Amino acid sequence: MASDNAAIAGGEWHPAGSSRSVEAHLVEKGGEIAAVPVGGERPLAGAGLSWLEISSRVGSIPRRVTFPDGSIFETWDNEGIDRYLAARGRGGAGMVHWLEQFRLRLIVIVLLAFALGSAVYRWGVPALVEVAVVTTPPIVPQLMGKGTLEALDKTTFSPTKLSEERRREIADGFARIAAQSPAGAGAYNLNFRDGGIIGPNAFALPDGTLVVTDQLVEMAGGDTEMIIGVLAHEIGHVELKHSLRQFYRAAGMTGLIMLIAGDVGSAVEDVLVQGGGLLALSYSRAAEAEADRRSVELMAKAGYDPAAIARFFTLIEEKLGDKSDTNILSTHPGTPQRRKDILDYARTVTGQPAPEGR
Amino acid sequence: MALAGSPQAAGQAGGFHRISFTGKASEYFGIWIVNVLLTIVTLGIYSAWAKVRRNRYFYGNTVLLGRSVEYHARGVQILVGRLIVLGAFVVLNVLAAVVPFLVLLPTIVVLVALPWLVARGLRFAARVTSYRNVRFDFVGGAGGAFKAFILGGLLSVITLGILTPLASRWVSRYLGANLRYGGKSFDTDPPLGPLYKSWLLSFLIALIGLGIIAVIVAANFALIAALIETPGSLAPEQQIPLIVSAVIGYIVIFATMGIAGLFYRAGVRNVAWSSTTFDGRHRLMSDVSRIRYTWIAISNVIVTIFTLGLMRPWAAVRLARYTWEHTGVTFSGDVGELFSRIEEQGSAVGAEFMDFEGFDFGF
Repeated sequence: MASDNAAIAGGEWHPAGSSRSVEAHLVEKGGEIAAVPVGGERPLAGAGLSWLEISSRVGSIPRRVTFPDGSIFETWDNEGIDRYLAARGRGGAGMVHWLEQFRLRLIVIVLLAFALGSAVYRWGVPALVEVAVVTTPPIVPQLMGKGTLEALDKTTFSPTKLSEERRREIADGFARIAAQSPAGAGAYNLNFRDGGIIGPNAFALPDGTLVVTDQLVEMAGGDTEMIIGVLAHEIGHVELKHSLRQFYRAAGMTGLIMLIAGDVGSAVEDVLVQGGGLLALSYSRAAEAEADRRSVELMAKAGYDPAAIARFFTLIEEKLGDKSDTNILSTHPGTPQRRKDILDYARTVTGQPAPEGR
Repeated sequence: MALAGSPQAAGQAGGFHRISFTGKASEYFGIWIVNVLLTIVTLGIYSAWAKVRRNRYFYGNTVLLGRSVEYHARGVQILVGRLIVLGAFVVLNVLAAVVPFLVLLPTIVVLVALPWLVARGLRFAARVTSYRNVRFDFVGGAGGAFKAFILGGLLSVITLGILTPLASRWVSRYLGANLRYGGKSFDTDPPLGPLYKSWLLSFLIALIGLGIIAVIVAANFALIAALIETPGSLAPEQQIPLIVSAVIGYIVIFATMGIAGLFYRAGVRNVAWSSTTFDGRHRLMSDVSRIRYTWIAISNVIVTIFTLGLMRPWAAVRLARYTWEHTGVTFSGDVGELFSRIEEQGSAVGAEFMDFEGFDFGF
């Protein structure tokens, strides 16, 4: 045991809730810890160690020792306090502070932080996204879809101008491939709209509502099979729940960035958010490729030309002159690359050389 | 017994005293990297405790008259506050996605709830801060926060920034005049003249940025018009200059708005702090150089990015040191006398145990 009146540290003592301060020493007296004024004898406050609240160590900022009567003793002498606590078997400055010290071993922590950070990004977020997708009640995508189509109808779309007969032709073909989907033909419903400023396009909502614009049908000319191929691609998006996944992934990334925001500063946070936007584009490219493959499978099952959707890309290349290679700023993979992937996959699915374009 | 080099109590005379910042980049680096690591390992839960350690470090190294400021929040309080805000945010967004005509609901709720959250967050931040064993308090309400932050923000946007100094004045007055220490009040009343002087320079910087953007748009006008006429009609060789200009334009916007904002922020800080008094007798002061502040902030971001974040602790300490060391207080009368009489007021004591942090808002 330390002898009586062993000074632990020097500092200042305050009465409870007062800025008045007395220069004092923290000393151990007969098993009690007391604050004793400099040049005085009578303790200002005292208590057994277990009754004291001693603030944990952060860097070398002052430590506070709070007595049961609310008075406090404040000291810059962290070492003195830690030595005393260690001698009393109270663990000195504690584990977190030990880790934080600027020693060579910090390199290990830096590497760990980088490794775990990329692991969370590579596997953690995707795993959480999967969990969220599985636990989302089916009502949510349904309501999401309903609202979106209503909003689009009010703003950009107008009723279709296609002939009854043309529409039935497409709808019959669509029913054939929809029947091949595990969810069955009942899970999807096809809508025709005049696309307005959206132009030639087809898209699917998470609830299985598909929309194809008049402009796309016109662009296809008489090639109904190609339109069916595009719709099969959209069914792929619905089956694989791409929009829900994308929503959750964006939310997950935003959450991650927000959590470390306090530690990286607001400007760096902005940069991270912008970078996250670019990464989201690369995810949507992967999603497009998945949907393309699904189109090939569905078309093959329904007895159509599995590579019909590839003709659509040929058409886009001719009409729009899109020969661009994949780059980071594009949502859709470069068209020539996509066509090649589809033809390759069609060959795999059918087990024969792909029919060259008719 | 005190360690060599530890700050000793300053002289008890009145007069002018600068604040000093004693934090060290190497020391903070350890705290920072452990914060980041534990935040990742606990999937973000530790972030509340990380904030406590970070703030304790920065407050505890902000020293006036040989005594440091202290931060008393506990991790649990911050975690609870974050969970409540996050939960409300999720519920609102799900509602908006599910019921289309409620699309504006989150915006409305945020507009109504934000002032309340800001006022509450400021009160929390003040009450968990103490100096010389006496806590601060904040008595501003939601109404004042609405006027200062939302009304002021709207005015400044609607008038294309021309009324921004007025908004800044409202914000500084709201923050300053509602602050209490030991039952005595602060008062902040920044004059509009100096605020406008500071604003003019930033406004010119922003105009230069917009001018550069205008030149870029004009140079690519034919291409952009073609793109609007018939989407997707451009050949790839036409797209390349367009993409390059878009990226350049983006960087120009980011840089000029950033510089203008930093210049302005430093100017407002000087005017607001220098127009603040405590207890009607003691004057606060800030003399941050706008050019130096902007340079530090921008080089901080660049260095942080190029070192994959590893120099962030150095950057944070560097900015804190610069701003605090250009801040001071002129005490009228005897300092020892003053601090022997200040007592903590009832309302602030222990109230933080009922309180949680509603919103992250720097104190």
